[in-house]
Amino acid sequence: MTVLTVTGGKGGTGKTVVAVNLALALSSLTGERVLLVDLDADNPCTYTLLNVEPKTVEEVKSFKPVIDKDACVRCGTCVKHCPTHALFLIPNAGLSFIETLCEGCAMCMYVCPKEAISRGHRLTGWVKEADAGDLHLVLGELRPGDRKYHDVMEAALNYAKRIWGNYRIVVIDTPPGTGKGILMALNSSDIIVAVTEPTSLGLLDLKRLNRLVTPLGKPEIVVVNKYGLPGGAHNKLERYLQECGLRWAKVRYDKRLMSAYIRGKPVIRYDPDAPSALDIQALAEMLAKEMSLNRS
Amino acid sequence: MEIVVASGKGGTGKTFVASNLCVYLKRNLSEEVVAVDADVEAPDLLMALGGSTREVVREEFYGSYIPAIDMSICFNCGRCAEACEFDAIHMAPEGPVIDYSKCEGLGTCAVVCSVKAITLIEDKTGDIYASETPFGITVVTGDLELGKGNSGRLVYELKERAYRIASEKRVEFRVVDAAPGIGCPVVSSIAGSDLLITVVEPTPQSLKGSLRLLEVAETLGIKTVAIINKYNLNPGFTAEVEKKLGVEVLGYVPYDDAVVKAYTSAVPLLEYSPASKASEALVKCFDRFREGWFR
Repeated sequence: MTVLTVTGGKGGTGKTVVAVNLALALSSLTGERVLLVDLDADNPCTYTLLNVEPKTVEEVKSFKPVIDKDACVRCGTCVKHCPTHALFLIPNAGLSFIETLCEGCAMCMYVCPKEAISRGHRLTGWVKEADAGDLHLVLGELRPGDRKYHDVMEAALNYAKRIWGNYRIVVIDTPPGTGKGILMALNSSDIIVAVTEPTSLGLLDLKRLNRLVTPLGKPEIVVVNKYGLPGGAHNKLERYLQECGLRWAKVRYDKRLMSAYIRGKPVIRYDPDAPSALDIQALAEMLAKEMSLNRS
Repeated sequence: MEIVVASGKGGTGKTFVASNLCVYLKRNLSEEVVAVDADVEAPDLLMALGGSTREVVREEFYGSYIPAIDMSICFNCGRCAEACEFDAIHMAPEGPVIDYSKCEGLGTCAVVCSVKAITLIEDKTGDIYASETPFGITVVTGDLELGKGNSGRLVYELKERAYRIASEKRVEFRVVDAAPGIGCPVVSSIAGSDLLITVVEPTPQSLKGSLRLLEVAETLGIKTVAIINKYNLNPGFTAEVEKKLGVEVLGYVPYDDAVVKAYTSAVPLLEYSPASKASEALVKCFDRFREGWFR
């Protein structure tokens, strides 16, 4: 089994488009069903591109305090200890709790001298699953208003790990960024696909991402999406890629890709002769060869 | 006044709107601005505003903690492992072992330890720096340690710094450029702001993200308006976006090659190409913001 993680630092470079189309292309090339894992819990978009409606397979829960107002003496001990300031005392109204600020550490429950706080649960998000033809999709989705997106990412990744032994190819789609959630995904991967765009900001964020990726010593391929973007910073980007000795592939800037995207369809199936679709196909062929996974 | 620019999805044009809003406030309204780059995992705002001409602040921010166990005191009672909500401590034969990749650094373990064997050590969350830029805007940037969590705390600290700088200099406006998404750092970016501008593209993916963001704004009681960016990429969908969002739309900005060129030249669009279609449309949006929200 090989795990490919599609990431990219900056938002909107085309991670999800590359991940979904690459997974479909790899499936066609190898005749294998591919497991696609969408870890962008803030706004999972794979299922809209695949036009499927995922079903909840797991609720992600975290601790929240349940306050016994009769037992509470308003001493403020919990308020003082709460590391995220989710609890506070309002004069004449008692103890108040803001769920959005709570990180669920349960400190309040342990420090309350009157045992007025007990364990409650809040719904942080969901792990969902869908059968999408050639792909099997697992995704994490954060409940809007909750902040603990890493918990949802971790739950989705753990769920995927429990079933990924059944697949030869796993593609992980990540959210933008370079933090804890991204590192968690990278640590589970065999090959890293870093999607960037030929803009100054794309380059800046790619450099930052590579400070995280390069030390892991895993094979990396950079995908320059929107290649040919008018006015783009192609020279600067290519110079950087060359200086770092990074392998890279281009996916051409293509109005036909946008046309598929806004219809919520993967270009590689909707318009397989589009320049971007041909480029992703070529990328898939290269990766399949690298994984020695070509259909025998 | 603190204005936060956010969107549920990446790449819709947050930094584009935020950087040019700063330029508009400064150039068109002669207002001073302190800008905050709250996308601490991929900070771009400083570059979008032309880069640093002079760094005025640079500090390391230690806003996180990691527990350390004094094994000479610990008697393996296991209370810390039981109390940790994040399964970051497990009991090995030789005593408790901390998995720092799971630890949130909130310190419940230290509180429950009956013999006080656990102390919390300050851990570096990231760097904070403030810079002056060529167009007269001070930018406060947060730079999260690679691979780390706790971005929300860094964002709170950035907003606090920006507030202090703005108070000292009697600056009226703070513009916060948020991270993509709706999670921890975005909640911190929005919390306490006076106005949220959500930047939406006319795609189902972006609309979904913005609708999720609006739910967050509602739980925090933050007034929200929208700018529809690159509207001409999918003009047929724009009306639906406006209808589904259900918030005031400040205006529509067309896709324009000048935007990419402006970034490549490291000059904000309103300065780089004031006569471009995107510039004119942006100024209209900001004029509407001024009429409705300013004075």
